[in-house]
Amino acid sequence: MKRNYNFKHWIFILPALVLVISILVYPIFYSIYMSAYDWNLFHSDAKKFLGFENYLSLFKDREFLHSLWLQLGFIVIALPIETILGFFVAILLNRDGKFYDVVRALLLLPVFVLPVISGLTWRMLLQPEYGMMSFILEKLGFGVKAWLAEPNFAYSMVIIQDIWRMWPFMFMFIYAGLSGMPREYIEAAQIDGAGFWKKITKIVIPYLRPTIATALLLRLIDALRIFSEVYVMTGGGPGNSTLLLSLYINKQAFEFFNIGYAAAMGVILLIVALVIAFFIVRGNIQFEGEKG
Amino acid sequence: MRRVISVLLLVFTVFLAFSAPYNTTIKVLAWDDALTQALKEGIPDFEKQTGIKVVLELIPSGNLLQKIGVSVSTDKSDYDLVTVDEPYVPALAHLFTPFNNWSTGKVYKKPNLSVFAPNAFDAAQWMGTFVGMPVNANVYIWITRKDLINDPKNKQDFKSKYGYNLGVPKTFKELRDMAEFFSTKGIYGFAPFTKQAEGTTAEAIFMFEGFGTRPLEIVNNRVVVALDDKKAVEAINFYKELLKFSPVGALDMGHSERIAAFNQGKVFTMFQWPALVPQHEDPNSSLVAGKITYSAPPVGSAGASAIRGCWVLGMPNASKNKDAAAEFAYWWASLETGTKLVPKGFTPARSDILLNPTMNKDRPWFKAIFDSMKGSIARPRFPQYAETSQIIRDNWLAAISGKVTPESAVKKMKDDLNDLLKKLGY
Amino acid sequence: MKSKHFRKRFLTTLLIIIILLIVFIELTPIIVVFMNSFKRDIDIWARGPFYFSFNFDSYKSVLSNRDFLLSLRNSIIVAVVSTVISIIVGAMASYGITRYVFRSKKLIAYSFLIFRMVPQISLVIPLFMMFNQFQLRDTLTGIILSHMSFNIPYVVWLLLPFFAAIPRDFEEAARIDGASEGGVFWRIFLPLVGPGIVVSAIFCFLMSWNEFLYALILSSTNARTAPVAVNGLLGQYAPKWGQLSAAGTIMLIPVLIITITLQKYIIKGLSAGGIKG
Repeated sequence: MKRNYNFKHWIFILPALVLVISILVYPIFYSIYMSAYDWNLFHSDAKKFLGFENYLSLFKDREFLHSLWLQLGFIVIALPIETILGFFVAILLNRDGKFYDVVRALLLLPVFVLPVISGLTWRMLLQPEYGMMSFILEKLGFGVKAWLAEPNFAYSMVIIQDIWRMWPFMFMFIYAGLSGMPREYIEAAQIDGAGFWKKITKIVIPYLRPTIATALLLRLIDALRIFSEVYVMTGGGPGNSTLLLSLYINKQAFEFFNIGYAAAMGVILLIVALVIAFFIVRGNIQFEGEKG
Repeated sequence: MRRVISVLLLVFTVFLAFSAPYNTTIKVLAWDDALTQALKEGIPDFEKQTGIKVVLELIPSGNLLQKIGVSVSTDKSDYDLVTVDEPYVPALAHLFTPFNNWSTGKVYKKPNLSVFAPNAFDAAQWMGTFVGMPVNANVYIWITRKDLINDPKNKQDFKSKYGYNLGVPKTFKELRDMAEFFSTKGIYGFAPFTKQAEGTTAEAIFMFEGFGTRPLEIVNNRVVVALDDKKAVEAINFYKELLKFSPVGALDMGHSERIAAFNQGKVFTMFQWPALVPQHEDPNSSLVAGKITYSAPPVGSAGASAIRGCWVLGMPNASKNKDAAAEFAYWWASLETGTKLVPKGFTPARSDILLNPTMNKDRPWFKAIFDSMKGSIARPRFPQYAETSQIIRDNWLAAISGKVTPESAVKKMKDDLNDLLKKLGY
Repeated sequence: MKSKHFRKRFLTTLLIIIILLIVFIELTPIIVVFMNSFKRDIDIWARGPFYFSFNFDSYKSVLSNRDFLLSLRNSIIVAVVSTVISIIVGAMASYGITRYVFRSKKLIAYSFLIFRMVPQISLVIPLFMMFNQFQLRDTLTGIILSHMSFNIPYVVWLLLPFFAAIPRDFEEAARIDGASEGGVFWRIFLPLVGPGIVVSAIFCFLMSWNEFLYALILSSTNARTAPVAVNGLLGQYAPKWGQLSAAGTIMLIPVLIITITLQKYIIKGLSAGGIKG
């Protein structure tokens, strides 16, 4: 391959780069700039320079810590369940045949359902007295309840909604990994073989580890920025019991109009996301054009 | 002769066209609902009368503040008039020209304050100055099922149990009794507002003020926390009592849930905002259309406390077209405009229209609006209202849901409010 | 022997039952939306979950709701335009990165991957301020630009391996025939990475179609997209679940068609960096 010093490549790269710099990189720097100010939208002409003070006050803000806690709880509960479900269903469905093809296609549907529709649908299902889910839960002996009216239930339901939507994502990933497994491994993964558990833990899991790690990290990024489903499903309530970090940022920015403060939170979230992104890139994803 | 007349006519029309008092365009930003849609229909008439072209921009009320925040500042404004929801008037007061300084109006006369519904102008007040003009009389009104009240069996049972006559609840005590009574009859006595939204703050203030206390007060031009522990706890306990007679899911009720419950015929009585009332009277979405009576809200031991939430028209200081903008405001407030547009969904701020019997025939709640306005109160007046409201709401919800005791909720509400005041340098 | 055979059949049957149960659970919410779209609002909240009277009232209301139709039109324009532009500039960049050797190559490639991971909520606050300044708020251009902020990095990263996989000979041959740089890209390479383009088009479209936060904050009336409009059906009204379901069904149709028919492309796309808009 010839060395190319005449910068022709920039002709191709520049349009994308210019666009991305103007709608992504520049805004990020602008956001960092905003985060250094005591800046209320109605008093833009009276904004005060604070330096790092916004960041310091964040860690004294109980609501911020609470929303961070909810966000972490969400991730810690939802992701393992999604992974385990996805893993076992992938093993169950790792078979050939038209039936299994159709099943796999159908299972993928929830992943692409619009988050807004998903959140609203779950809200509808959980309405007391006329929601399908409430009705079923009532018949199962849980009593007539407004599930989204009780803090712990509402939080659980938000998580269940996410599990419902996103375990098939883990499933698809793991299934893709499984189907690429060499022949002798595949037999090990058959459900009715002897020593099932042993094979799973000794052979299948080690083989799939990189796949699962990548999938988990991708989910982690998504889970960190979850917004729409929860926003339409509970709006953060009842009380603040489902006010995840992104919802709190939205509230500070666009309900309280403390845009400087909200920008500081956005920057923190951005840093967390970038650190995770860094691990994804380093450990698991290789830039395939590198060798070329 | 005929020719002379037609020439004269022509001259006259040309004269008229050039003599239109204004030849300019104003931009108006308002919330989007039935009222402003109706207003839009009246605009061509206004334009003809004044020569002022009006660009009326309607956006969802949830986006309105953001929009004002970025398009109006002390030295620059994209609009000549903007509408502001009452609690946010203090936050924006510094951007607006006081009503007293608005011009007198060439085509439409500046209205006298006395034509507005009682207390309506308080909505536009901040630190002793009227910074705008109210454009509707928006206030808690009370809706009650008259078919349930008029049922002879209910009447008799109620009388024998409580010793007085069943009717529209006029006091908090009657409200409690009647709610309890109907809960034994398979009807929910009351529908609260408990979602994580402004409506919940309104309920809290409605109760607090009914029991004679308020979260914030202005003393010598300074904002201070003024909540009285004992009265606040009483208010919370009373509301908790009402929740016992409320529908399943009483702790997660917003506008939708309340309207649905009431329209299913499951609720005896509750508050409602006038703008939402037509939905209860729409047979396509309500099983109780025609069975509702309207009144002012029941009164607590300390007097009436109907929550007010008028839309206020503000004129940015930076507007370059203030005279024309004032004309539009006065036209909006005029009797003719109101009378003409009410059938299209307009709600006026004027007493004469609210009390007009013809108007009340199709809209029996107009008189109730007037009555409620008489005892209406504001939510806490404070520039950082959204945060104030959030604190009140969070602690109120924690208390009424039983998560914490009323006493500790009240204490925490006061602490949080004090922290907020301190943070903001008050 | 017989019992073993029996056991195997039993297990297979059990397996199929479990699988069907899982599929049923996964599809129930979607089915409920579909069923409710044929009910009237009032029937849903006044008559319990199993009352059913088939009618098109909800569709009629939604399809005569000018705000919703406008938002649907906006959604289509935004999704299509942001997809097309993202693919054009993204494919060019991806080509530029893979087919030339230069010093900052790796840095640029990884930057695009990292850009993909930026949380929308962090970006929406500065975008809100910038768009106000440049009069882009509540315009389709603004929404399209905001969607390109996640679509372009996605396309660039996704297409890298596709471009890298094309043997060098193609390029050399074309150059010998006298094709220009641009010609090589448009006529030789773009067709060769066809499958990659399909994958990116599917994902850009879906991510844009599903996007909610940017539309919520950066638009009000003119540029409102369908997800925001649908949420608006639950404002200060008796809940319009029927209309909401009808609107939801309409919005789900392209999603379901794409997911089912283009499934084989989708797994590839998933692994290239998350799925959410």
